[in-house]
Amino acid sequence: MRLTEAETNKTYRVVAIEGGCHAKDRLIKLGLLPGVEIQVKRKAPLRGPFMVTLNDSDIVIGRGIASKIEVRPVV
Amino acid sequence: MTTIALIGQPNCGKSTLFNQIAGYKSLAANFPGATVTYTKGTTYIDNELVEVIDLPGTYSLSWYDDAEKETVKALFSMDIDVIVNIIDASMLIRSVELTIELMSLEKPMVVALNMMDEASKKGIEIDVQKLEDILGIKVVPIVAKKGKGIKELLASIKQAKKPRKRCVYKKEAEEKITDLSKCMAENLKDTQWPLKLLSIKAIEGFEPCEKAVMETSCAEMLTKIKKDLDDGMVIINQRHALCMNIFEQSSQVKKTRKKSVESYFDDILMHPIFGYIAMIAIFAGIFYTVFQGGVPIENLVMGLFGDIDSYLSLVIHNQLAFLIAKGAVDGIGAATGIALPYLLPFLFIISFLEDVGYLPRIAYLMDSTMHKMGIHGTSVIPFVAGYGCSVPAIMATRILKSKKEKYITAFLASIVPCSARTTVIMGLAGYFLGYWYVIGLYAFNLLVVLISGMILKKLLPGISPEMIIDIPPYRLPSIKTLLLKTWQKVKDFVYLAVPMLIIGSVILTLISYYHLDIYINDIFKPILHDFLGLPSALGVVLIFGILKKELTLIMLYQALGLSSIAMVSSVMTHTQMLTFTVFVIFYIPCVATIAAINREIGIKGSVFITVGTTVLALVIAYMTKIIFLAL
Ligand SMILES: Nc1nc2c(ncn2[C@@H]2O[C@H](COP(=O)(O)OP(=O)(O)OP(=O)(O)O)[C@@H](O)[C@H]2O)c(=O)[nH]1
Ligand SMILES: [Mg+2]
Repeated sequence: MRLTEAETNKTYRVVAIEGGCHAKDRLIKLGLLPGVEIQVKRKAPLRGPFMVTLNDSDIVIGRGIASKIEVRPVV
Repeated sequence: MTTIALIGQPNCGKSTLFNQIAGYKSLAANFPGATVTYTKGTTYIDNELVEVIDLPGTYSLSWYDDAEKETVKALFSMDIDVIVNIIDASMLIRSVELTIELMSLEKPMVVALNMMDEASKKGIEIDVQKLEDILGIKVVPIVAKKGKGIKELLASIKQAKKPRKRCVYKKEAEEKITDLSKCMAENLKDTQWPLKLLSIKAIEGFEPCEKAVMETSCAEMLTKIKKDLDDGMVIINQRHALCMNIFEQSSQVKKTRKKSVESYFDDILMHPIFGYIAMIAIFAGIFYTVFQGGVPIENLVMGLFGDIDSYLSLVIHNQLAFLIAKGAVDGIGAATGIALPYLLPFLFIISFLEDVGYLPRIAYLMDSTMHKMGIHGTSVIPFVAGYGCSVPAIMATRILKSKKEKYITAFLASIVPCSARTTVIMGLAGYFLGYWYVIGLYAFNLLVVLISGMILKKLLPGISPEMIIDIPPYRLPSIKTLLLKTWQKVKDFVYLAVPMLIIGSVILTLISYYHLDIYINDIFKPILHDFLGLPSALGVVLIFGILKKELTLIMLYQALGLSSIAMVSSVMTHTQMLTFTVFVIFYIPCVATIAAINREIGIKGSVFITVGTTVLALVIAYMTKIIFLAL
C-alpha cells in the first residue's frame, strides 16, 4: 500500500520508494529508506502534507511524495 | 593561517558554535536552512589566530539544493586545514552518514557532538569514547548554545588528525567502487572530487557525478555496476546499516514514557482547524503588540525632538545654518522616534519566532495553499524572513529546489512588507487611521501575494518537486541571543539608513531653501498628483525610498514642509495616506534587494521583478484611491 493510505499513529515499514521520484535522494538522506519503520503522525487538511516520524526525527513530506512511498503495516 | 570549516547537517548548531567562538556574526535559527552562505570569522587557539568558516548545513555531499551546493563547493575549493563536523547528538544515525562521507576526504577532522543536553532529555546516552574508537576520529561532546565543551573542542582542533581509512561497504561493492575509481583515475583529469567519492555518488545516481563518469570511457562500466548494485541501493543500504550499527554500539536509549512537549504544542499548533486559528492569532498578536508599543514611543520621542528644534532656533541665528541643523536633527529624530520604536520590537519578535521553531510548522500548515501559487510550504521560510528584511528572504530561496519555485518565491517575498515598510504601515496608516488599518493592510498584502502567485504560476511553466522538511524540536532562545540577533538585523538601519537619512534631510532642506521644489515636483506631477492624487512633493521621498525603504516614512513630513509628523494629517487626507502606504508596500524593491535578486535568479529576474512590482504598485495604489474616494 501507499503511505497516503496509511492510518495515523500506526507503524509501517517502508518497502520501496518509486523511481523517478525527484525527492528520493533527500528522503534517503533523512533516513527514510526501504526497511525503515515509520509512523504517520498527522495529515494536513485540504490535500496537504504528511508529518511522519522516523527513527530519530519528525519530517514533513508533501502528499505527492507520500504517494510514491510503498509501505507495509508492521504487526 | 589555519582554516577550519564547520560542517554538519542542517540545524545541528553550526552557526551557534561559530558565534560562540568567532563572535556574533552568523544568524542562527531553529529551522533547517537558516544559513545559506558562508561566513568567515577568526578566533584564537592557544594564542594562534585561526580562521573559522560557517557553512550552510548539508545532509550529504551530494547536494539537493543551492544552499547545500554552496557548502560542497566551499569544501572542495577553499583551502581548509581542519574539518569540524558538527553532529546533532539526538540524531546520530543520519548524522553519521555525512561523517562517513567527510572521512573519505582524508583531511584532519574532529567531530563536535552537539546538543548533548537534548540527547539526554530524549533518553539517549552516548558513550563518547566508544564512538570515538569506532569512528577513529576525536569526538568532543559540546552544548554549543551554552558554550559547554568549547575549550576542549578548540584544543582538539589543534591536534586534529586524518581519519583512519575504513571499509564502509561489503567486499563485493567495495571492489566495484574501486574498479570504477581506478578507471576514472585514468580517464578523468581535473576534478575537485576525490575519485572514490565521485564513483560512489555516480553509482548512487547523483547527477553531476554520474554525468562526469558518463562523459568518459568508464560509462559502460558504470551502467553495469549500477545494474549489479540495484541502482546504488545496495551501497546506500550498506552504509545505512553501518550507521545503525555505529549508533547501536555507542548509544543506549532509555524509553521515556512522557509525551514530549512537542506533541502537546503540535496538537494545537498543527491541528487541522486550531492550527490555522492559532497562526492567524499569533501574527495578529505580533502586529498588535508592535503597534501598541510603538505609538506612545513615537509620540514621546517626536515631542523631545520638537523641543530640541526650538532650542536650536534660539542658538543658531543664520537662517540656512539653522535649517540644515534642524534638518539633521529632524532626521535623527525621525530615525529614532518613528522607525526604531517599530523596528526593534518587530525584529525581536520575528527573531523569537525563528528561534522557537515555529516556521517549519507554518510550512506544514500552508503547503496546500502555497500549491495554488506553484510553490510549496518551504517557501514560508523566505516569506517570514521577508517580514524582517527582503535581502535574507531572497537569499533564503536557495533552500528551494526548482528554478520556478525560486522565481515565484523571490517575486512574492519582495512584495511582503519588510520591517522598513512596516514602519510606514504602522507609523503612517496605523498612527493616523488606527489599528484595524494595520491588520487590513497586512491581510490585503497577503491577498495580493496570493493572486500574484496564482498569475505567476500560470505564466511560468514546469513543475517543482514537493516539500520535504524536517521539523525541529521547540527550543527556547535566551534573551541574550535574541538581542544579539535583533542588533545584527537592525545594524544595517543604524549604519546605513541613519546617515542616508541625515543627508536626505539636508538635501530636502536645501531644495526648499533654494525653491528648487517647483522644478522637481513638476517631474513627478503626472504620476503622483494626476494619477494617484498624492502631493507631488512625495516624489523625492519615494526616490530615497528605493535606497532604503524606511526613508519613505521618515522623510515624508520634511518633504511636505512640516515641522513634525503629527502635522501630516493637516495636509494629507486619509485616502492619500492609504494610497501612499499601499504604493510604498508594493513599489520597486530597495537597491540591496534588487542586488540580491540579481545574484539569486539573474538579471532577467531582477528586471522583471522591478518592473512588475512598479506596475503592481501603480495599479493597486490607483484602485485604493478610487475605492476610498468613493466611500
Ligand atoms: N538545546 C540545544 N540547542 C542548541 C544547541 N546548539 C544549537 N542549538 C539551537 O539549535 C538551533 C539551530 O542552530 P543553528 O546554529 O542555527 O544551526 P545550523 O547548524 O547553523 O543550522 P543551518 O544553518 O540551518 O544549517 C538554534 O535554535 C540553536 O539555538 C545545543 O547545544 N543545545
Ligand atoms: Mg547556520
